[in-house]
Amino acid sequence: MTDPRLAGGILPETGDIDTAGFWDAAREGRLVARMCATCGAVLHLPRAYCSECGRWEGRWEELPGSGRLHSWTVVHHQVHPAYPVPYTIVLVDVDGVEGVRLLGRIDGECDLRADQPMHVWFEEVAEDVFLPQWRPSVVEG
Amino acid sequence: MVGIGTTDFSRDSGRSVLTLATQACLAAIGDAGMVPGDIDGLVRCDLDTVRHNDLVHSLGMKRLDFFSEVGPGGVAPSAMVGQAVAAILSGQATNVLLFRALNGRSGRRFGISSVGGERIGGSGTYDEFFGPYGLLTPGQVFALIAQRHMSRYGTRPEELAHIPLVCRRRANANPQAQMHDRTLTLDEYLSARMISSPLRLFDFCLETDGACALVVSRAERAKDSPHPPVLIRAVAQGSLPAPQPGMQFPVLMRQDLTTLPARPTAETLYRRAGMGPEDIDVAQFYDCFSITVLLQMEDFGFCAKGEGGSFAASGAIDLGGSLPINTGGGHLSEGYVHGMNHVIEGVRQMRGTSTSQVVGASTCLVTSTPLPPGSALILRAG
Ligand SMILES: [Zn+2]
Repeated sequence: MTDPRLAGGILPETGDIDTAGFWDAAREGRLVARMCATCGAVLHLPRAYCSECGRWEGRWEELPGSGRLHSWTVVHHQVHPAYPVPYTIVLVDVDGVEGVRLLGRIDGECDLRADQPMHVWFEEVAEDVFLPQWRPSVVEG
Repeated sequence: MVGIGTTDFSRDSGRSVLTLATQACLAAIGDAGMVPGDIDGLVRCDLDTVRHNDLVHSLGMKRLDFFSEVGPGGVAPSAMVGQAVAAILSGQATNVLLFRALNGRSGRRFGISSVGGERIGGSGTYDEFFGPYGLLTPGQVFALIAQRHMSRYGTRPEELAHIPLVCRRRANANPQAQMHDRTLTLDEYLSARMISSPLRLFDFCLETDGACALVVSRAERAKDSPHPPVLIRAVAQGSLPAPQPGMQFPVLMRQDLTTLPARPTAETLYRRAGMGPEDIDVAQFYDCFSITVLLQMEDFGFCAKGEGGSFAASGAIDLGGSLPINTGGGHLSEGYVHGMNHVIEGVRQMRGTSTSQVVGASTCLVTSTPLPPGSALILRAG
């Protein structure tokens, strides 16, 4: 795996007060989503206030790491030197809680279809920085 | 709408953005039969580099009783008209000037990632969930939206193609359009290089150096104008519920990717106008990308959700169809002045002076409804 840090790739800010928990979990190989601790509403993208019940206390719910492909694009026109084309950006509806969608990137041009099963893996892109990534699930038999 | 003005649209203006803005504003003020001293209100787009005070000084305005700023970006133009209407009706200003100026090709380009090697995101931008994956441009965002529409509704590239093809034909009739001299065929569209699938080269807007400006006044004033009066029937702004935060990328986390803020904006607009889609004679749809037009045609009620592709391919959007669109060529073929050239073309249609005039047209829809929120207006020939 190439190291985007060395290649000048874009690293996520992992210390933001509302989103750090997501990146802390990714560092440990866990996929999490922000939920309201009181009513269980999904607070994704992660934020503090729950407009469903008016409370401010959230928690990080661990997710199973599977999902369904919502959409994708194969990028052919390069706009950043650290991201050589072609590459495929995938948009995945994550299993476990309704309303959590995440991005992933797959090298090259992928043959994909809507709603196909996807699985998470964790890419180390810099020291202590891990990106949850998604690839098509391998169907046995 | 008593005055309209533009500069030429080019790839390299050779002029500063302030010069472009000043030229378009002087043209609009002159078109209204006014002088700069008659203008007492200014509305700018948040992404413009020209500020209110720049123009007050550059134009030689005598006073500035009302100034306002609307954004983000392409969401602004119709809402800028709304600001002018509000200022005039509330007595804060008499004659309000709106402008948008940019060196969008020779200066800062929207399709180029400005991200360096540092960490991105945080502080409420949520860009940390997008940029590290190589999602870097609005075109890639709308490509993901287009692919979802194609997967869900079976929309085909050959249908989507009709939007850029129609825009190109209108530009071929418009001497001011950047693509005036360049025809486009379906074969050329389909064989053009893929930028971010399923979007090809001609699904993308142009990059333009240029400026547009308009003068809004009280309806009574329009009677003194040297032009046929053009009235603002209604203007509206809107947002979907749960639109997601941030500037552009988090919109991909919305539950339904294929519905734009055009839908709630349309509901408000039609209610205020006392009209429906069947009352619209001609439309100028915000077209950063072809797919943006297709979704808006659905959201503004010209066809059902999912049927935008077949509607586009039906001939309805061509000159002579039930809803001719983007009669100046739009962003796809006239020039990219961030939705302001759509308002200008709307006024031309209502004056009867478009280079692709829709015969007998008395209502024109103008949209500024990409994402995250949106705005739109309906013009009426007075
Ligand atoms: Zn709650």
